[in-house]
Amino acid sequence: MKFDGTELYAALIHELKNDLGLLSMTIDGIPQQGEPEHDATVGAARLLCQGVVDRLQQALLIYKAIDQPVQPSIDAWSPRDAVHEIRDRAAALSRGRIQVEAALAPDVPEIWFFDRDLVEMALINAIHNSLAYARSSLRIEASMLEGCLALTVRDDSPGYPAHILAGTGAGSSGHAKGTGLGLQFSRLIAQSHDNQGRRGELRLHNDQGAVFCLLLP
Amino acid sequence: MSLASARASDAFIDYSALRALVVEDYPGMRNALRQSLTNFGITRVQLAANAAEAIYQVKHKPYDFILCDFNLGDGRDGQQLLEEMRHSHLISLETVFIMVTAESYYEKVVATAELAPDDYMIKPFSPEILRSRLDSILRRKRAFRDVYLHFMAQELDASIAACDKLIRNQPKYLVDALRFKGELLVTLGRLEEAEALYQQVISMRAIPWARLGLARALHLQKKDEAAEKELRDVLEQAPEMVTAYDLLSEVCLAKKDAPAAQEALEQGVAISARTVRRQQKLGDIAHTNGDLETARTAFSNVLEKGRHSVFVTPSDFGNLCRVQVEQGDLQGAADTLKKNKSSLQDSPEGQLVMAVAQGMVQVRSGNLKEAAKALEEATALRASGTRGDARLMLDLAGTCMASGRHDEADGIVAEVARNAHDSEALLDRARKLYDEAGRTEAGASVLALATADVRKLNNEGVMLAQRGDFRTAVDTLLTACAEAPRNPRIIMNAVWVILKYIDQDGMDENMIEAARRHLDEAERQAPGHARIADLRRHMKDVESRFGAQTKATA
Repeated sequence: MKFDGTELYAALIHELKNDLGLLSMTIDGIPQQGEPEHDATVGAARLLCQGVVDRLQQALLIYKAIDQPVQPSIDAWSPRDAVHEIRDRAAALSRGRIQVEAALAPDVPEIWFFDRDLVEMALINAIHNSLAYARSSLRIEASMLEGCLALTVRDDSPGYPAHILAGTGAGSSGHAKGTGLGLQFSRLIAQSHDNQGRRGELRLHNDQGAVFCLLLP
Repeated sequence: MSLASARASDAFIDYSALRALVVEDYPGMRNALRQSLTNFGITRVQLAANAAEAIYQVKHKPYDFILCDFNLGDGRDGQQLLEEMRHSHLISLETVFIMVTAESYYEKVVATAELAPDDYMIKPFSPEILRSRLDSILRRKRAFRDVYLHFMAQELDASIAACDKLIRNQPKYLVDALRFKGELLVTLGRLEEAEALYQQVISMRAIPWARLGLARALHLQKKDEAAEKELRDVLEQAPEMVTAYDLLSEVCLAKKDAPAAQEALEQGVAISARTVRRQQKLGDIAHTNGDLETARTAFSNVLEKGRHSVFVTPSDFGNLCRVQVEQGDLQGAADTLKKNKSSLQDSPEGQLVMAVAQGMVQVRSGNLKEAAKALEEATALRASGTRGDARLMLDLAGTCMASGRHDEADGIVAEVARNAHDSEALLDRARKLYDEAGRTEAGASVLALATADVRKLNNEGVMLAQRGDFRTAVDTLLTACAEAPRNPRIIMNAVWVILKYIDQDGMDENMIEAARRHLDEAERQAPGHARIADLRRHMKDVESRFGAQTKATA
């Protein structure tokens, strides 16, 4: 078989993604031993591994977005289910180190139209950031804002640095380190959602911690 | 029980009671997935490494949950596996089927509910996400229980009523219930309602499956211009939505634009080449269009990609050989037969295909002695009641003519014509055979004679029914059925008048039994015909009103 450059990378990345998935499931299978040093190390390895998996998925999506805009597959989904899914995921990643809560405002409809997989990828990315910087808790919320569904990840970290909030963050760092790839990725996803001329948005601000909010029209 | 505790038990899902099947070709991943399911509390987990193993498992044991990788190595992929399981009723609507894919792209490939799994997971995924998705699907299935039960009992009106109840009372399932109801309305031929329903969904958001549903409802109402516009528009936005190409090709055919129909299917095949039924259609249309090279590629693909597929029948071997012979590639046709000899010999239908194709090859090669031998074999099979599809029977007739066996040829053509008195394409093909043999006149009279009786009986029967004389209409149409036992139109008319007769005169056990038998035959001859569902519903209605014992199925 002969590969040209792109095919080789595509095949390689595909293999890596599968191997990483398997590695992460293998780490999941390591039981907690009640011995702080051991458990903390396994927990860190697990978080790191998940972070790499998520980062790879983002990179793939952004790589594709160079040639063509992100095309979301919109369908009707339950915001409640999405929030609970992300909460369970965050709780599993934090392994009790950080308290994870979910909240649903009463005016959030039973269904909303969005690309579940893309939106959850963006939220998981925010969760990774929060798990790295939060002091003790993070909160996933669904509410209605300006006629849009707002999905928010809120933590008690020191918050986003000023240059990120100023919107000059593209290409520079996330919370404090990292490449900012994740936020760029989330913004792409938010903006790919479009309804009757209204475009989705990513809004970041600080309010007793970092607040990451996806607005979906 | 208080309301609160009722709700709690409603939400409770007993994972230890679930039977799960994991289909995954990579052993490491297979075991990791089993471990995850075990961690959820699912204790009964079976593993399968490929589609064949999975089919074997579901045939022997019912499963509540199937987790299946899309990419299963060399054999059938996960989507083909799902389609076969649904098609052969190996899994019910209550079985949860989750597809695991490497790309979000997959979702766009399966846009119709019939072909879609309950959900899909993009690799790599975490056990928590799988767990929450499984949870919400199980809850949804619970909410849809009545919808499914009525559907499986073919009580489609009751199934629609159950959908309506969900639409009214459970906003969370509004869109899911509308989607299911839309397909039921289409099945029942309530097309204006279906059109309005899809418009309703589109007014919430123009999601692709709703637009596809709308296009289908328009097409079935013969509003093909509007259907085509909708489809071309959908495809511009989501060019990878393969099922839209299938529908577009049907719309083009209805508009008598066969080249455009072929083009649409070719685009679909370019995206997903593995679907046997798409390749079969492409082969048929390309053959009609005289594009033998495309037809040959498509029919070869059917056999290659469809190895072990339930959708591949002996006719598919006949189709490929026919094209090869028409291309003058006699060696190719002979090779096709040789290569597939063992599977064809398994059934009388396969043997007939082999004998007929062999006959064609030998006639063209000028080996009349070998041709005669093949013809003898085909004749013997036909005498014992074996039949192939209409085109194969016409191939046989052609070989008979080329060997000077005109009476036999006329008999075969007459039989085909009786059973397809309203199919211009087949009658045309028959006429061509006679033209080629220099017997145009003879052909015209064979066809006229064969179709005249059937047509007359059919018209008489329908007229009698319209006048309200159902009793005589039944006799007339059953006579027509005896003349043309494989003619779907006639059979469906016969079933219809029997049901009208019972509507009017009350239950008649022999009659209802005849209607059941004939409806099954109609299903065999014209699988998926819209009118069949309608007749089934009518029959169900008659049975329940008159309290007939439904015959236990063996």
